[in-house]
Amino acid sequence: MAIRVEPDLNFIKFLKSAGGDTLKKCYQCATCSVVCPLSSDNKPFPRKEMIWAQWGLKDRLVADPDVMLCHQCGDCTAYCPRGAKPGDVLGAIRAYAYTHYGFPNGLAKLVSQGKNLPILIGAPALLILIVWFLSGGMHLPQGDIDFGNFFGHGYFMGLTKNVLIIDAIFVPAFAFAVFAAYKGVSNMWNNMAAQLDVKSDFRPSVPQFITQFLVPSVKEILAHKRFKECGTNHDRVNGHLPLLLAFIGLFAVTTYGMIRKDIVGMFVEGLHGPIPLSDPFKILANVSAIALIVGVGILWMNRSRMEEENNASPTFYDWFLITKIMAVGVTGLCAELTRLIGIPVLAYLFYYLHLVTILMLFVYMPYSKFAHMVYRTFAMAFEKYRASEFVQKTEE
Amino acid sequence: MTDERSAPAGAVLVVGGGISGLTAALEAAEVGKDVFLIEKNPYLGGRVAQLNQYFPKLCPPSCGLEINFQRIRNNRRVRVHTMTEVKSVSGGPGNYQVTLESKPRFVNNNCTACGACADACTDEIDNAFNFGMNKSKAAYKPHDMAFPMKYVIAKDACGDASKQAIKDACKYDAVDFDMQAKEFTLDVSAIVWATGWTPYDATKLENLKVNSSAAIISNMQMERLASPNGPTGGKILRPGDNKEPESFAFVQCAGSRDENHLEYCSYICCMATMKQITYIRSQYPDAKITVFYIDLRTPGKYEKFREKVMADANVTFVKGKVADIIAEADGGVTLVAENAVTGDKVSAKVDLAVLATGMEPNAKGQAAALGLATDGNGFILGDEGMSSCGCAKKAADVVTCTQSSTASAMKAIQASRRSV
Repeated sequence: MAIRVEPDLNFIKFLKSAGGDTLKKCYQCATCSVVCPLSSDNKPFPRKEMIWAQWGLKDRLVADPDVMLCHQCGDCTAYCPRGAKPGDVLGAIRAYAYTHYGFPNGLAKLVSQGKNLPILIGAPALLILIVWFLSGGMHLPQGDIDFGNFFGHGYFMGLTKNVLIIDAIFVPAFAFAVFAAYKGVSNMWNNMAAQLDVKSDFRPSVPQFITQFLVPSVKEILAHKRFKECGTNHDRVNGHLPLLLAFIGLFAVTTYGMIRKDIVGMFVEGLHGPIPLSDPFKILANVSAIALIVGVGILWMNRSRMEEENNASPTFYDWFLITKIMAVGVTGLCAELTRLIGIPVLAYLFYYLHLVTILMLFVYMPYSKFAHMVYRTFAMAFEKYRASEFVQKTEE
Repeated sequence: MTDERSAPAGAVLVVGGGISGLTAALEAAEVGKDVFLIEKNPYLGGRVAQLNQYFPKLCPPSCGLEINFQRIRNNRRVRVHTMTEVKSVSGGPGNYQVTLESKPRFVNNNCTACGACADACTDEIDNAFNFGMNKSKAAYKPHDMAFPMKYVIAKDACGDASKQAIKDACKYDAVDFDMQAKEFTLDVSAIVWATGWTPYDATKLENLKVNSSAAIISNMQMERLASPNGPTGGKILRPGDNKEPESFAFVQCAGSRDENHLEYCSYICCMATMKQITYIRSQYPDAKITVFYIDLRTPGKYEKFREKVMADANVTFVKGKVADIIAEADGGVTLVAENAVTGDKVSAKVDLAVLATGMEPNAKGQAAALGLATDGNGFILGDEGMSSCGCAKKAADVVTCTQSSTASAMKAIQASRRSV
């Protein structure tokens, strides 16, 4: 099996900039593939990914589910005799893959580099500032602080002006992120399927796909089954689990809030004010907010420690997500606290920043490290698909 | 305090009495230099004495050592101090003051190595020469070919009754339990460091779990097992249960080429494995042997040796470093690696696993205290008056060691010439 190696220098340069600068040190001893707690017995990783990366075989790497299945436990890096840090290299390859599959590609590239940070923060900050200014809500509130009047007072078709403006910004942003993620993931799936080198006579139907591959993967993710197998970086599960649950909690609360205020609120009076603190959903929201800050805080400390111990390299890719989530949590909590204490200037400022960080989280999701939540989920589904009868029984 | 036979001007101190130290001492002495040869063990010969055979000619170590011992015996310019270590070095090129300490042997020069003391001794100690694979009496001859041919007594391991019995058994009045450690100073013009190496401590290779099974041994233990004067009389048997192994595996680079352990290549381990395969083959013609390696490094003339061994159909070579060893209930072990050529994870269940442990320079811990400059790995660099040779200088085979020892002798001669 001869392979004609046509290295893509830009790819290697990207990997180096994304924390994979140690990849050339690898001398293929294959210790990593054995110490990896997540690797399979059949074609284990990450040794093969290391040499593909050295050779610049990016087409193989972006179509390799193993790259996404890696949870960066760090065992490979700890045992690597050369300091080649396979865990970091695979992280860098994932960063590359999100950019590679990112749609639209220009935005994906923009999000991949720290030097673009002024635009990445400035654009959403400016957008919301302009909308805020134009909405006429940019003045200190009279009486109780109500973020329901952030973008001004007034009703339109039974909805408050504020709800309409919020929806006008965030619903499209969310829909855009979902669509972009869908484009990226389906592209990845097709590439991975092409690499399988078998003809699929039967394709799973959508319900089959969901029940046989997607749901089991999501269950596995929720249980943090693979994270718990990690050796060196086992503590990370203590941060990731509360963070994941916090996101689910906040998603539920946001959905509830939307239904309550934006839909039911069209017909029932008095639902537009702040939800009382005693409301079960408000309690869930506050618990989730604290879990989010604690969770990302643990990941933050964990990451810092790994870097101090030289088990990982600091990268924009990792820190952008950690700081972004921390910013979402802190601005949200501060907005709520200053509202309750009654400091309108700060409350409004924090609320503004909170909106900016959430918009960033949504729009950059498909390209930043946050994308792992869709790419890894579907890679896990692909792993199950690959082992399923749909692929295995097509030979005869 | 100065030695009673105080050093003549321009003398050379050789630290370490293995093949390198012996060579350097003799090369200097045979051109007329006065040489002090000190050795921390009770015998000369070092690691080579522990081998079963040298590669590539597969001759026994007596082959090279006997003639060197003969040369030492016949050369009055070489003064040997065994059980002696360097405590401190002061002065400079041409004029060093070296303080040494000799530990008591508790046996004097009257000893004829008759063995009566060992017969009388009732206490046992781990046999360090055999890496603890068997016991010896606390009054012992270090090994069959020991030079000087004298017994040693591990006094602390002996009970009072045993001590009395040992003393009574000796017809030659050679046992002296009152011997004390002795410190003395030598004035020398040059120093040759031939302090050699120790097999890397495999317990530090956590993932290989050496202590989990008696079926995991080091390559130096393999030398002792195969050696006619070893713990099994030369029969390769599994420690613990003395089973005749039907299958073997070699784990190359066990500690070497690994920045978490020894970052350099230890040079000899590939050839040592090739050589040890010939030991196995001569005893077990049908044994299955698997060698796990990263790269096989058998440079120059050793390539032929490798080719011969690799032609054996029952020896399998797997490119991939062993990263996990699992102890099995039947006393064997399973080794796990990824075959980097096929990309599959492979495991080999074998009766005996041999770790090709690397060389750790003995000077590593002590060099700083003695004021010696070393490279980052503990190999001694040397300067105008001091030089290093053999495995104190770099990981090397015997041929390279004797070459660098001759070079060191030359440097020592030059340094002492300059000083006179």
